[in-house]
Amino acid sequence: MMEVAGLTVRFGGVTPLDGMTVTFDSGTCGLIGPNGAGKTTFFNVLSGFVRPLRGNVRALGDDLLAMPHYKRARWGLRRTFQTEQAIEELSVADNVALAHEHSRQGSRASRRADVRSALAFVGLEVAPHAKVETLGARDRRLVEIARAVVGRPRVVLLDEPAAGLPDEETEHVGRVIRGIPEHTGALVVLVDHDMSLVSACCDTTAVLDFGKLIAAGPTAEVLRDENVVRAYLGTEPVS
Amino acid sequence: MRVTRPRIRVRHPATAVVLLLVVLLAMPQALSTYWIDVLTAVAIYSVVALGLGLLMGRVGLVSLGQIAVLALGAWVAARLDFATSIPFPLVLLIAGTITMVLGTLVGLPALRLSGLYLALITLMLAGAITVVLTTTNFPNGGPGFLGHTESSFGNPAVRRPGIAGGDAAYFRYTVIVAALMFTLVFWHVHSRPGRAWAAIRQSEPAALAAGVNITTYKLWAWALASFVTGVAGGLLAGSVGKLYTYQFPTRDSIILLAVVLMGGIYNLWGAVVAGALMKLLPALLDNWGLPPDLLIILFGAGVLQVLLTAPGGLAGQVPKDLARLGQRLATLSGRRAPEGEAP
Amino acid sequence: MPSWQDFQPFIVTGLALGGVYSLSGVGMVVLYRTTGVLNLAFGAVGAMGAFIAWSLINTLSWPAALAYLACVGFGAAISLLYGMLTGPSLAGRDPLVKAAATIGLALMLLGAMSWIWSDKARSMVLPTTNWQYSVGEVQINWTQIIALALGVFVTLATAAFLRRTGLGTAMRALANDREITAALGVPVRRVEATTWLVSGALAGGAGLLLSNLVGLDAATLTFLVISSLAAALIARLRSLVVTLLAGVVIGLVNAMATPIFSISSYRDMTPFVLAAVALLFLARHQQISFARRSR
Repeated sequence: MMEVAGLTVRFGGVTPLDGMTVTFDSGTCGLIGPNGAGKTTFFNVLSGFVRPLRGNVRALGDDLLAMPHYKRARWGLRRTFQTEQAIEELSVADNVALAHEHSRQGSRASRRADVRSALAFVGLEVAPHAKVETLGARDRRLVEIARAVVGRPRVVLLDEPAAGLPDEETEHVGRVIRGIPEHTGALVVLVDHDMSLVSACCDTTAVLDFGKLIAAGPTAEVLRDENVVRAYLGTEPVS
Repeated sequence: MRVTRPRIRVRHPATAVVLLLVVLLAMPQALSTYWIDVLTAVAIYSVVALGLGLLMGRVGLVSLGQIAVLALGAWVAARLDFATSIPFPLVLLIAGTITMVLGTLVGLPALRLSGLYLALITLMLAGAITVVLTTTNFPNGGPGFLGHTESSFGNPAVRRPGIAGGDAAYFRYTVIVAALMFTLVFWHVHSRPGRAWAAIRQSEPAALAAGVNITTYKLWAWALASFVTGVAGGLLAGSVGKLYTYQFPTRDSIILLAVVLMGGIYNLWGAVVAGALMKLLPALLDNWGLPPDLLIILFGAGVLQVLLTAPGGLAGQVPKDLARLGQRLATLSGRRAPEGEAP
Repeated sequence: MPSWQDFQPFIVTGLALGGVYSLSGVGMVVLYRTTGVLNLAFGAVGAMGAFIAWSLINTLSWPAALAYLACVGFGAAISLLYGMLTGPSLAGRDPLVKAAATIGLALMLLGAMSWIWSDKARSMVLPTTNWQYSVGEVQINWTQIIALALGVFVTLATAAFLRRTGLGTAMRALANDREITAALGVPVRRVEATTWLVSGALAGGAGLLLSNLVGLDAATLTFLVISSLAAALIARLRSLVVTLLAGVVIGLVNAMATPIFSISSYRDMTPFVLAAVALLFLARHQQISFARRSR
């Protein structure tokens, strides 16, 4: 469970997050909202790239924002990025192991076994020593997801993990995402614009608009909510 | 500084070893003292280029002050050498370590800057060090902390290791130490720090999200580069015997940048090419009666060429060119169908 | 501690040098803001212009005024050529890459100067240096006055120009965002070309003045760019007036340290130390660089 309380971020004249308060229960939770709603900013706060003005985040009992950013990965916070960030120069196995080797969990042999099982879990059928720069978009995305689930992750943040992929690949990614909580016990937060993916993967969904939470609850209900529809279509919100 | 998509090639170790043996055994026999000194300089400056190449190619940091670091290493080595009777290998190690510590102290605040600003601050600090050195000079057996005496008669030279007093022997000694430095860096690149550096160079946010402590790893690269450069400084002190400020002009830091770029920053051999460009080529030109200034123009053009077109440098480009040539030859000789046709 | 009288001649030289540093500094700042290129070859360009002028006067017997014009013209021309040739290839790249490329230019010019003119001692004396008069107990010559006056004038004129004219506004827009400015129909290439031309002319002029104030030596003149760079950095590559003040301060501190024997030999550290401090000050708020892939 992850509890966000009163999170506010301000840069210059812009307030991307404005008193965001929401609780993410276990399983896979969606986070949606129109462009500029603050979703990526929220992830950036969690990753530690952005310091909030106010507010705190408690995940699984720990105060996340009190930890220095590089220690959060060691704690078990994992993340993928909107524009895919698999490290080209390294092999598939090294990419996936990147998060793991800096967490210092277990022995070398157990880490290698974890990498293999992560690769099998995401369904990536390339040789582990292949260089990432030789892979296509779909495989690179899977490498990133494998990196996010290897070992013992606690919170997995996925930022548009299927962006740019054709439908059937997106379905595959959806199936993988649905399996993450069961396979690893982690809480998954999925940010995406693809509503079919969100409906397929997420039990609950929260909706941001202008940095504020405007709806939260079971996905099907939230997607039908008037306020949410209005936020996406751009008319005045109901007060 | 990201100049292109990196292509790391793991050289077949046997080639390296054979090459090394040839160099160690055959060359000194066949050459005059002058050329032995030139090749010693090539070996030393290859190590300096190795340090800069590590910073630029692996972590994307540019330092315009490596020659000042070299001077520091030489200063420390000379001072130790005159003040104590510590054996030479240990002098090298201590010089490298002290340079590493000084480098790390500078790196701590400086590495918060990135890209252009980091390069500029290294230029500034190097300039400051050069000015100080002009006044304090290098140790030459004199008294006091600075170990410098103004008298110009009968000053001793930095002593060399017992087993390598002569020029040819010292050359072999230098090559071995250089090889050790290369091995040290190679080992770093192919294990955890190297992987962390690859991540940092491509995307700092992704590296951070994977738990890489970027500051620590950047400092590590910085410290390593300072260490090898410090050791090179010690070797230089032993090589020339008498150190003077004019041997470390600011201009050389710029030229070093040029030759490292030209030699190729993504390949450890590029450092050797860089060393040869910097020390062998001028000697060759001098030998053929051509003005060495032409070389400076060439280096300038080389920098422009690398940055504008062939970012892998010569060590990256030549194998590619040779491969392309090989393909063309194969096509011509009929062994392969030309590209575009079905085989 | 030396007396006020002892300082006076150094105050004069310091102000004059400071004026020239500001002159180059302003050129560097405007060029950087408009094109993203921090031109480290500024000093080399000015130096070569000065050498060309010298040769025109001493070898080809050109009238001095024409030779000086040629110097400034050379600075403008070679900067324009460089800017136009390298501009397209380097357009989207990191400022570090662009600055490193100017190092290539600087090396080429340094090598050329060394080759063509070798290291013989030379001097080039502007006629204005011979017009001297005394203020109190100090000798001042007109070159020094021109140096300072030009520095101040160019700074203020450029600042006004950037704010009040169409071209100036275009330059400021480019500094802000090249793509959007192009999309707005501003002739980006022409504005950039003008900037290169003018900054190059300033480099030529600075070279000419420095050859008088400091001496006609390729390496010295080339590396004096560091003092202008220091001034520009202290101004965070932004404010022209701060560049002027910083340049003058650097010149003054450097010169005034001369009669103080205890630190005199370290006075050349001034630009380096001031620039390093300015840079570290700039660094205090650094966040990590976001994944803007610099190619």
